[in-house]
Amino acid sequence: MKFSALIFFGASALALVLLAGCATRPPADDPEALQEFRENNDPFEPSNRVLFAVHEAIDQAVLQPMAEAYRDVLPPPVRAGIRNVLGNLRTTTILTGDLLQGNFDRARKTLGRFIVNTTIGIGGIQDVGRAYDVHGHSEDMGQTFAAWGVGEGFYIFMPLLGPSTARDLVGFGADIVSNPFTWIGQGQILDAWNYMRLGMTIVDTREALLEPIDAVRKTSLDPYATLRSAYRQRRAFEIQNKDSPAGAVAPAGGVGFGQGITESR
Amino acid sequence: MTRVSLPRRFLMFGVFGLVTMPARAQQMDITRATAFVDKTGQDLINAINDPRLNQTQRRDKVASILRSAIDIEGTGRFILGRYVRQASPAELQEYLKLFDEIIIRNLSARFGEYRGVKFLLGRSQQRREEDALVSTLVERPNMPPFTLDWRVAEINGQPRVVDVIAEGTSLRLTTRSEYSAVIQRNGGRVAALLDAMRGQIAQLVAREGA
Repeated sequence: MKFSALIFFGASALALVLLAGCATRPPADDPEALQEFRENNDPFEPSNRVLFAVHEAIDQAVLQPMAEAYRDVLPPPVRAGIRNVLGNLRTTTILTGDLLQGNFDRARKTLGRFIVNTTIGIGGIQDVGRAYDVHGHSEDMGQTFAAWGVGEGFYIFMPLLGPSTARDLVGFGADIVSNPFTWIGQGQILDAWNYMRLGMTIVDTREALLEPIDAVRKTSLDPYATLRSAYRQRRAFEIQNKDSPAGAVAPAGGVGFGQGITESR
Repeated sequence: MTRVSLPRRFLMFGVFGLVTMPARAQQMDITRATAFVDKTGQDLINAINDPRLNQTQRRDKVASILRSAIDIEGTGRFILGRYVRQASPAELQEYLKLFDEIIIRNLSARFGEYRGVKFLLGRSQQRREEDALVSTLVERPNMPPFTLDWRVAEINGQPRVVDVIAEGTSLRLTTRSEYSAVIQRNGGRVAALLDAMRGQIAQLVAREGA
């Protein structure tokens, strides 16, 4: 995943450059405003809002039309198959998270799902595990850090990646580093495969978010603030490792997007 | 997958409902809360599927069901948070009126998109002393299902919806963040929020064509 590594480091560098734009701390004689300032934990809000605007422009020009075309062109079973394959390919990340959090019950499910889905499910196209009521779940290093007691740190919005926090961004980097696809071999075929996987992940994730993002744009008086709050709540929910009756899992991207993504039908 | 209970089917709505932090709430009985969510869902499904109603009548009917199910004032106050005290009495009154209209319009409009939806009552759990959380699973045709939790509190002796939580994301918390950002970015003036809300209502009206 060289390209995603590139995005990650490029975006980090960009964020550092933009640190210049800092939010103004409320005066000390207004404790409620101060508390809110700390809860938002968004010291670089002015810069983040610029990055958010950049992302929105890119999204409306490129990502959203691509996701809509993807939904229009491919029938649901094909899209479901693609999502399943991408999810299956995330097994190493999820399993690593399960194990590092000492959650062996979930690790067993993750491994079982991988074996069954890869074989009977033909390379992960069919989610056979779900048919046996063994549902997938999301996991990543950001969640593992949280389970270890690491606070989320300041909020950050990255164009293309979406909302994140200091902790989740470091976790995202660790996920790339710990992904075997980052390291095994080299050559054009592998590069092409990695790019294709990244491209499909972006399209698949955006397609899953078509309605939630439409709803935010239509109903929110401040989409930036809505997304910031929703992202935090969604991450907190995922970190609890509660099984959702709807079998909600994060999309294949897995940086956490602040919205519940459910399994495709 | 701990969907324990009476899968009951009905129609349901929206990703989003409502909210409140009731100072006057007493302990909420979980059985009562569940029955209340159950009945509200049933009423909504009946209204949406009633063939005798035209679109305007249906929307009015849905709005009246929502008005009686949601603690709009408490929810509105919770969302405005610390600015309740900063607002003048006239501003607060205006805010509650606008909030009522936005919530009801948003939710009622959404029902149109949710025809054919099923609504399964999931496990219920008592969350805190003063309110109960009722879990439901929302299923729409050709769409992935999602979990919607209803926070129900006892307001003046009646169960009322005070928040809805879609896949872990609470509507009242998200909206509080949104409104607070609007006020802060406009010099801390509640009046700026009221302007934005008026603008939003104008847009909603235009979209409904009503």
